[in-house]
Amino acid sequence: MDFSRYLERRWDDLLEQAAQHAAVVALSVLLATAIGVLVGVLTWRSARASGVAISVSAALLTIPSLALLALLIPLLGLGWAPTIVALVVYSLLPIIRNTVTGLRSVDLAVLESARGMGLTGRQTVWRVQLPLAWPIILTGVRVSTQMLFAIATIAAYVAGPGLGNEILSGLAGLGSANALNKAIAGTAGVVLLALAFDFAFVGLRRVTTPRGLRV
Amino acid sequence: MSDIKLVNVTKQYDGQPLPAVDGVTLDIAAGELVVFVGPSGCGKTTTMKMINRLIEPTSGRILLGGTDVMSIEPNELRRHIGYVIQQIGLFPHMTISENIQLVPGLLGWDKTRSRRRADELLELVGLDPVAYRDRYPRQLSGGQQQRVGVARALAADPPVMLMDEPFGATDPITRERLQNEFLRLQAELRKTIVFVTHDFDEAVKLGDRIAVLEERSRIAQYDTPERILATPADDYVASFAGSATAIKRLALIPAERLPGKPLNVANGLPTLDKGGSARDVLDLMIRWGTAQVAVDGGKAVDFETICGLLGDDHGR
Ligand SMILES: Nc1ncnc2c1ncn2[C@@H]1O[C@H](COP(=O)(O)OP(=O)(O)OP(=O)(O)O)[C@@H](O)[C@H]1O
Ligand SMILES: [Mg+2]
Repeated sequence: MDFSRYLERRWDDLLEQAAQHAAVVALSVLLATAIGVLVGVLTWRSARASGVAISVSAALLTIPSLALLALLIPLLGLGWAPTIVALVVYSLLPIIRNTVTGLRSVDLAVLESARGMGLTGRQTVWRVQLPLAWPIILTGVRVSTQMLFAIATIAAYVAGPGLGNEILSGLAGLGSANALNKAIAGTAGVVLLALAFDFAFVGLRRVTTPRGLRV
Repeated sequence: MSDIKLVNVTKQYDGQPLPAVDGVTLDIAAGELVVFVGPSGCGKTTTMKMINRLIEPTSGRILLGGTDVMSIEPNELRRHIGYVIQQIGLFPHMTISENIQLVPGLLGWDKTRSRRRADELLELVGLDPVAYRDRYPRQLSGGQQQRVGVARALAADPPVMLMDEPFGATDPITRERLQNEFLRLQAELRKTIVFVTHDFDEAVKLGDRIAVLEERSRIAQYDTPERILATPADDYVASFAGSATAIKRLALIPAERLPGKPLNVANGLPTLDKGGSARDVLDLMIRWGTAQVAVDGGKAVDFETICGLLGDDHGR
């Protein structure tokens, strides 16, 4: 069967897998952003604490994904849960690192006037530093998102959602009639999704960057 | 009342051999503008920042309206003290109006009131609210940003203002304009102000009193500009005041207070604009090579009058 016929026949399934792939990445990145920003906010003041947070999240990134999933199965079973946990773990490093960098990069004069005006440390972080650091943080989120699209294919091994299933079944049936079609369709789907998301980030950046930083 | 008293205040930074501020005692009356002037590193900023507890003194007491500042919660204290720095430090992600409304917001003012207040202050510092309130700091020139910095410090109508070289980063023309506007403002508002500069001429121009500081913030002389120029306490103060102190003193005497002969028509004499000083009168004489100058209300001031001014102790 040629590729276009294959696509036509499996279009609905592929679409559903792509939607799930996008959903699991988006959900994981949202969670990772919440966690990563919080870790950054809690540790940026201390070089040691933020150093530890960054080292730990970097170390997590070196765990082979199959091994991490295998470790998670006894705890979380199969499907979405281990997939999301693994993806969150893998996306923390760029987000934490950029949050710390962003919070630290705020102009000293701005911090001095915030303190001199009587903003508490917490008010300064949430009302001044985070909005100013946001473009840097968002860059970290974007890097994580791109990484996750590739990593998320591994979810198929734990019966998780997404285009990994298409690729995996192609690999499993290597030599059979549609094996190559499956591998190509799955891979192309992942790449296209990643491109679409990356494009969306350009818009997101524009919408969420404070206007005063864009003028 | 919001007078400020420093009693034997010392600040010793960790790891420094000598204190940065060494036993300073100083009284600042309510509504008075006091300038700290002294060479770089003498402790002006450190002394000033102890008043709003950005720096904690090692020993000594600072009283604000009779209350020890150490007994006031630092953020609460700072919300009631205006603070302006040379680098301005406006919040770039907030509009001009939002920048000004921040402290009123922290103090729980309602939105309408703080928005009205921001407009009123923009007006006060010479920026049209309609044109500027919704702009962002990056859309303003340095001088305009500095005005917003002053407006922001005034937002919650604090009785006390601390200003650390607020006009230091501007060009001489803008600086002079900001100084003039600031004097006009202070004549109206009568805040208790501590103003830090290392420019002696700025100190003379703005200060009700000047504290000339030496190393470790030791007070070499604390007096009115006129008295410091006329009778410097020691060689240090004299060298700091620089040359041409007689001319600088003339700058402190408004021309309209000068005695003169009535004059019906200016009959060819050079005429001084309103608001000039005795120094400007002298300047006109030299420029025109005349011994008489017409001053706005229709009087003629002569050279002898100007020379006689410095003999006895003239006030402003
Ligand atoms: N955080 C600090 N730790 C240690 N020493 C400090 C600290 N801040 C200031 N100093 C020292 O204290 C002294 C006074 O500093 P300060 O900033 O008060 O001077 P200044 O009169 O404001 O100078 P300038 O005109 O340059 O601003 C200086 O010798 C400075 O090196
Ligand atoms: Mg200083």
